[in-house]
Amino acid sequence: MSIAMNFMELCPHKSTCSRFGKPRPNLRLHSVAGEMMKPAGEDGAYDYDLAVIGGGSGGLACAKEAVNQGARVAVLDYVTPSPQGTKWGLGGTCVNVGCIPKKLMHQAALLGESIHEAVAYGWQVPALDQIKINWAALTESVQNHIKSVNWVTRVDLRDKKIDYINGLGEFKDPHTIIATMKNGSKKELTAKNILIAVGGRPHYPDIPGAIEYCISSDDIFSLGHPPGKTLVVGAGYIGLECAGFLNSLGFPATVLIRSVPLRGFDQQMAQMVTNEMESKGVKLQHKCVPLSVEKLETGQLKAKWLNTETQEQSEDVFDTVLIATGRYALTKQLNLDAAGVNCLSESGKVIAETEQTNVPHIYAVGDVLEGRPELTPVAIHAGRLLARRLFGGSTQLMDYDNVATTVFTPLEYGCVGLSEETAVQRHGADNIEVYHAYYKPTEFFIPQRNIRNCYLKAVARREQPQRVLGLHFVGPVAGEVIQGFAAAIKCGITMEQLMNTVGIHPTVAEEFTRLNITKRSGKDPNPASCCS
Amino acid sequence: MCSAMCQGLKSPVRRLANLRRAKHISTSIVHNETILVKNNDDFVNKVMNNDKPVIVNFHAEWCEPCKILTPKLKELIEPLNNLDLAIVDVEENADLVHTFEVKAVPAVIAVKNGLIVDKFIGLVDADMINSLIDRMSGKKKDEA
Repeated sequence: MSIAMNFMELCPHKSTCSRFGKPRPNLRLHSVAGEMMKPAGEDGAYDYDLAVIGGGSGGLACAKEAVNQGARVAVLDYVTPSPQGTKWGLGGTCVNVGCIPKKLMHQAALLGESIHEAVAYGWQVPALDQIKINWAALTESVQNHIKSVNWVTRVDLRDKKIDYINGLGEFKDPHTIIATMKNGSKKELTAKNILIAVGGRPHYPDIPGAIEYCISSDDIFSLGHPPGKTLVVGAGYIGLECAGFLNSLGFPATVLIRSVPLRGFDQQMAQMVTNEMESKGVKLQHKCVPLSVEKLETGQLKAKWLNTETQEQSEDVFDTVLIATGRYALTKQLNLDAAGVNCLSESGKVIAETEQTNVPHIYAVGDVLEGRPELTPVAIHAGRLLARRLFGGSTQLMDYDNVATTVFTPLEYGCVGLSEETAVQRHGADNIEVYHAYYKPTEFFIPQRNIRNCYLKAVARREQPQRVLGLHFVGPVAGEVIQGFAAAIKCGITMEQLMNTVGIHPTVAEEFTRLNITKRSGKDPNPASCCS
Repeated sequence: MCSAMCQGLKSPVRRLANLRRAKHISTSIVHNETILVKNNDDFVNKVMNNDKPVIVNFHAEWCEPCKILTPKLKELIEPLNNLDLAIVDVEENADLVHTFEVKAVPAVIAVKNGLIVDKFIGLVDADMINSLIDRMSGKKKDEA
């Protein structure tokens, strides 16, 4: 006792210290009256006000906001190792095997290209032909960053007094969860409200050799050896992004596309993206499905596939086969029957319009939700708003419309709002006006970079004031370009307002303010020159 | 800086401090060898109860600046026989990280007679490190 007091006397900052003697504000006072609002302490019935199953983007955002609102919260997180044995720490898909490592590897790829472009600008780069990637160094840097994020996340939970349980959660009854730890021990906890934020994992096709020999996005970012010549099965954004950066890093990539690339996205833009990838050397096998993967004596993998149009079978030998054929929600292992949750779609996702399941106190957020964009910012925002509704008396619902997103292929594709196809489907071709243009980024001229796929378009209502329904952009830093326009779409921007916005020069984003040629007019959308 | 330490020190370190009063534990460390803190007991025995001042370095393997600072501290402190260096791996010592409110690494706290007398966060320049070491190894006049 006296030691602590002596220390306080000794502290030179005592007189100005804000932490001395002031009790922590009673956060519980923020809780608004309502039958949900009683802290567990008074209620006595439950261990926690909120138990979150899944420590990813959605789960953590909801947990932290709930604590801000005065709730007692526990977060369960557990990573079942991938078929190849890969596991990771707290933070969910985005931090560990998604957005973050993906963007870092994309950046590594771009930097590699920049080194070559630099020569045209006058940089004297010695032994240009010997420039190559050290895969081990790249993965080490990426993994070190991920570990630092895992640690900060854990420290943050602890500081916010959120109980973190590293166990796989399942329901015992509507208010009770059993967490199974790695060593097999189990822990039971009860909660007044429960949030399902378990996300998803890669789906493996049912072909010989898939699980035994193939890797997925779970494994690529920490792969213990350089991937070499890689076959990517699947042409959604995960497959294309991986094939893109692998190819740019010097690992030849082939992509098997079952139907169309970037299904669900604007197909004209998807075409631009794949054209660019092909021009960089990525081999695309359209209308092809994998048949089998076998391991050769050399350790390499022989993959066989079928062209569903020509019925022709092909095969080739690769060092790595990366499966990117979609992701499935981890709802099966939750034992939802025990909780009475029965609002699952055919694919196993949770149908919950306002994040509330058929059981009033059980909610879902993030990739596990049916029909919602599977994006980190969506999960975070929805999680936060949910916490405010549960514990802060808010009524604000999540707006899932007009969420901007970007595909980080070597030439990026950013978009917000409706694709042209969807706009035509909803409003009719006669009621839609599409403004479009090819453009030439200033920086591309000197190194003579390919500008054939630098294209953008605005999909708008045809009748005045021509409200913009969707914006699409293929080009460098597409994510940075589109983000601001997402706010504009939210405000209901019209073509007139867009065209009356003065651009910043020289940028690529300004091209949106220069749009003036419609598809309907048939005029040539290629630029004459810049500044005109 | 110090205020943050005070807050963190209130309950858990009070326990640690009480332990120190309750029993005298002689330190059996070889002079000049860096102390690797594996758990709370290690910390109490070899840092809080150390007759000599100790520079405690919070370190993480995934942290690039730590890989620069930690060897530098070793290089400067190991030759001294009136100052010890303790390394706390943040992944293995969550309690200590929490107690001392370490939010970023590298973090260095200076302990003398069981009390924290200084703290810095991040990779600081050689001058700051050297002046901290000078102060801790008794080159300053009074201890206030």
